[in-house]
Amino acid sequence: MNQTNIWTEKYRPVTFDEMVGQQEILKRVKSLVQALNIPHLLFAGPAGTGKSTLALIVVKELFGDKWKENYLELNASDERGIDVVRQKVKDFARTKAIENIPFKVIFLDEADALTKEAQQALRRTMENYTNTCRFIMSCNYSSRIIDPIQSRCVIFRFKLLEKKDIKKRIDVITQNENLNLVEEGFNALYESSEGDCRRAINLLQATASISPDITQDMITMVSASAKPADIKVVLDYSLAGDFIGARDKLLDTMLKDSVSGTDIIKSIQKEIWNLQIEPSVKVRLTEKTGEAEFRMTEGSDEFVQLQALLASFVLAGRGEA
Amino acid sequence: MSLSEKYRAKKYQNLVKQDKAIEEVKTFLNQFPKKKKALILYGPAGTGKTSLALAAATENDLEILELNSSDLRNRSKLEETLRPATQQKALFKKGKILLMDEVDGVTGTDIGGISELVKLINLTSFPIIMTCNDVWQSKLSPVRQKSKLVEMKPLDLGTIISLLMKISEKEGFIKSPHFLKKIAIKSQGDLRAAINDLESYSQISESGAEIDITEKRDVQTSIFNILRRLFKERQDFLDLFDNSELSLDQILLWIEENIPKEYKNEALVKAYHALGNADRFRGRIYKNQHWRFLVYQNAFQSAGISYAKDNPLEGFTKYERPKRILKIWLNNQKIAKKKTIAKKYARLVHCSTKRIMRDFKMITPMIKQESVQRKLRMSDEEVAYVNNLR
Repeated sequence: MNQTNIWTEKYRPVTFDEMVGQQEILKRVKSLVQALNIPHLLFAGPAGTGKSTLALIVVKELFGDKWKENYLELNASDERGIDVVRQKVKDFARTKAIENIPFKVIFLDEADALTKEAQQALRRTMENYTNTCRFIMSCNYSSRIIDPIQSRCVIFRFKLLEKKDIKKRIDVITQNENLNLVEEGFNALYESSEGDCRRAINLLQATASISPDITQDMITMVSASAKPADIKVVLDYSLAGDFIGARDKLLDTMLKDSVSGTDIIKSIQKEIWNLQIEPSVKVRLTEKTGEAEFRMTEGSDEFVQLQALLASFVLAGRGEA
Repeated sequence: MSLSEKYRAKKYQNLVKQDKAIEEVKTFLNQFPKKKKALILYGPAGTGKTSLALAAATENDLEILELNSSDLRNRSKLEETLRPATQQKALFKKGKILLMDEVDGVTGTDIGGISELVKLINLTSFPIIMTCNDVWQSKLSPVRQKSKLVEMKPLDLGTIISLLMKISEKEGFIKSPHFLKKIAIKSQGDLRAAINDLESYSQISESGAEIDITEKRDVQTSIFNILRRLFKERQDFLDLFDNSELSLDQILLWIEENIPKEYKNEALVKAYHALGNADRFRGRIYKNQHWRFLVYQNAFQSAGISYAKDNPLEGFTKYERPKRILKIWLNNQKIAKKKTIAKKYARLVHCSTKRIMRDFKMITPMIKQESVQRKLRMSDEEVAYVNNLR
């Protein structure tokens, strides 16, 4: 049994035609693959828009049944240090690819998680193995990839998937899995997916594990219960003047669900607009939040910056912000 | 021989003002090995820790086997010198005391030093006496649990003056009580420092000697004193952290923990803003190895914090040690299983472990399926963990 019952995998498109959205990109990549030669590729774009899927399709088209021997997938945000990446690349590139294609493919996911120094080292590695390996790299923002690497790659910019694109994939699943998803249910699904197809499918499967008849309420409920950080409680504590309470709650939330400081800031920024405070204060708090997010990129300890932000909320709670 | 060595107390009766500590040591040796097998003498420098250990040996006719922190204290060294010693009988006398001086000097380079010490305590058939200044550092925690703790307090002014007087008489140079008092004040309870100072003035006439009693020795300032000054006073404080044994980064954590105990509202915001600035410069140091920025980190986390308030503060505040690091550590223990599962799952679905950790609640129904658990080759414990999830 090769089928896994994880729908993001079971229903991952395996041909160009199955992919939704990104039509321009597909056309160009397809022509490259048909020529049996690809340059280094850089896929930039938000999560769940098809970057990994397209990389997998490329190698499957190139190598057919033999794709697994000719493909190495690395996730930069999980590998400890560039040395590990280099060693793995070296080991992988040592053996030759199959006869008609003179190279193997390395997919480096979330390449923007690498520091600038690591990217410099990676660039050397790319050059060293340029005869035997092609790199496909993915990132959320191409601006976080150093210029020398960008200039060695053909860059493809993935867009957020539109509602109709996500609908196409979801329809395939609901039919195959015999689900009953009403239109409002799909709308709620799309809303909370924010254009991230992986998220939409995961949410669909999590909800379907309760019942195959899926309503809007069920989607909303599952989506809310799976939300990692309940940041509102933290903000309520701060606005009520209980800084220490807010801080403890914040740390617990971050640790319990392994949420990064950046994700916390994102939730705070959204949550501000739901708070019961003066609209003008909301604007000022948004400014503070943006400032904190920026400072976070410079600092070394996200929690210090988050506490500074919470202190501003305490002041806002007293109408002094 | 320096005067401080010459006049080192050889017997219990020569040790002044440490009666309580002496009693504790006596009890320890009498009870050995029924209760604890090791004892830690702790207290500031020059209070007689090493002297007490040596006196205990003399009084009980025991041989002493001494190791200083200057000795290389790695695993192999400890094994070759101490292991056999703990089990052999002493050569000439009826027994032995193992003396480990300055255990707080066992640093990161002495790989396994602390854990070896713990093993040693478990194995030894002779009493072990250790000395150190700060017994409460976290790295000593495993040793602490195995040992009886005995505190030695700094000596009071009168005691030091009368000792200095006796020594100067015996050595044949007479100094006025006023002069000796100055030396005693300057020593801040450190008898060895006082005797050393006395020796340095022995050949100089009093009129020619200038003793600046404000010129203190570099006494280590405890973090609690640092915090008290930082939070209560309003000063530039650029050298406040110079005499702390803690690094700037460790101090930052202490400040972070305790700001809300002292500051409210406006001051709270300003203080965290300053701390945030300190952290930004620290980030730049880490990223670019630009160590010059250390001065900015220091300025923000000293003066920046002190001036966050408009007026000096009064009253007593009980400061607490930073809890965050401990919480993170405990949490890592707790989520270890979750992480190994997320790692396996991440490989399967072509995505990062971090993202799976974040979406763990969403994927819980997926990994509850038996087929998926088999596919992921989950261990029995992992399966149990997953099946217990709500």
